[in-house]
Amino acid sequence: MFSKKKSFILKGALCIASGMLLLSCGSETPKDESVIGPVTDTTTSMAEAQEVSYCLPSPLQIASIFKKSGLKYKAGVTSSSKDASKYTTNLNKAINLGVYSADLSYAVLNKQNQEAMTYMKLSRTLADNLGMSTVFEQGDLSKRFEKNLGKEDSLAYIIAELQMVTDMYLDENDQQQITSIVFAGAWIESMYIGSKVFEIGKDKSFNNKLAEQMTILGSIVNALKVQEKKDPAIIGLIADLQTIKTIYDALPSIKNNVNAAEDTEKELTLTDDETASLIKKIEGLRTKFING
Amino acid sequence: MKNMPHIALICLVFAFGFTTIQQPDNVDKKALTTSCKKKIDPFKYDSQKFTKINFTKKSQQLEVEVPVFIGEKYRLVFNTSSLSKPIKISVYTKDKETAKREAIFTAKEGENEIVFDVPRVRKMFIDYDVPMDTTNTNASGFVVFMIGYK
Repeated sequence: MFSKKKSFILKGALCIASGMLLLSCGSETPKDESVIGPVTDTTTSMAEAQEVSYCLPSPLQIASIFKKSGLKYKAGVTSSSKDASKYTTNLNKAINLGVYSADLSYAVLNKQNQEAMTYMKLSRTLADNLGMSTVFEQGDLSKRFEKNLGKEDSLAYIIAELQMVTDMYLDENDQQQITSIVFAGAWIESMYIGSKVFEIGKDKSFNNKLAEQMTILGSIVNALKVQEKKDPAIIGLIADLQTIKTIYDALPSIKNNVNAAEDTEKELTLTDDETASLIKKIEGLRTKFING
Repeated sequence: MKNMPHIALICLVFAFGFTTIQQPDNVDKKALTTSCKKKIDPFKYDSQKFTKINFTKKSQQLEVEVPVFIGEKYRLVFNTSSLSKPIKISVYTKDKETAKREAIFTAKEGENEIVFDVPRVRKMFIDYDVPMDTTNTNASGFVVFMIGYK
């Protein structure tokens, strides 16, 4: 027979054990981070190939590169679609968040305050519709943006901060696919703006800039492919971007110069006809994007 | 009542074991980002990537592809302070499937915060070599890298 004291100790031990089990279950975070390491164990100790992940640049950097290469402001080249509510699927919301981000960056770097404010508001609406409303609330980003209108450097800094907060939010919520979709939209919009401001045939530097920009298209496609299980709607976007990449890879300037992409001293460039054929495809996809 | 000590013992062992294996992701990612942001200055923030590291009985090589634009100036900042064991960080211009490739940067062992100003390249491949874990603790954590441009 157990004494009352012993029984009390054992019951206490059972309570502690149960409590610990409950606590350990409760502390499990529901968020699934970008796990690219294996979870299961084997007895093998050899290094094995793991999944590759991607880190894409920001829309602001693309706009900044074009600005440095002499891209001027031209009215009417940014998205004329000012009704963010027409984008109903998450894919279209994310694509057009990218489009607006590129337009916002272009407006800010060219000191177009009213236009910048418009695209900031449109970006916020789409971010809200994607469930990312907290992003704009952090650090009073919207208010600071309004207060600093006209100050290019300050606005660029705020956009970079907004990008950082967005990246963190999407990582925390396991929505990295949105990062890739947004960048795809921003990249297409940036190439479109570039083609409309630089005159193809007159400004040869655009042929070169476009060729250099095209080198990251493969990374955009691959980054989307890694995420396609999270949102099967991405498959159509991948196919659209892959079509442009296939055309680019088959261009004589690229096909006959396969090592150029690895030669950091050699500049990639395209002929006027090649640039025009690529831009035609980019324009078509951009129209599809903004029509929703 | 006779079985009670055994049941209690099993429960305690199970509970201790379970809580040891299930290490929650209590990493303060915001603090890691803030720390990287300080080191990225005077470069402008471009993007960042958190990679979860699970130490297992197998060594692993994880790779992050980073497309960049030729002629632009970039800085990479890494923070490994949330990892309980050191990993090797190297930067290449070719992916790990390429037979002959040379690292353009390898981080010194024991450093938690690493800064690398990138030379003229078109593409970067960041490799994390994760050593095998023989202690069976199932330790995990995050390595974060931030990229900035000028």
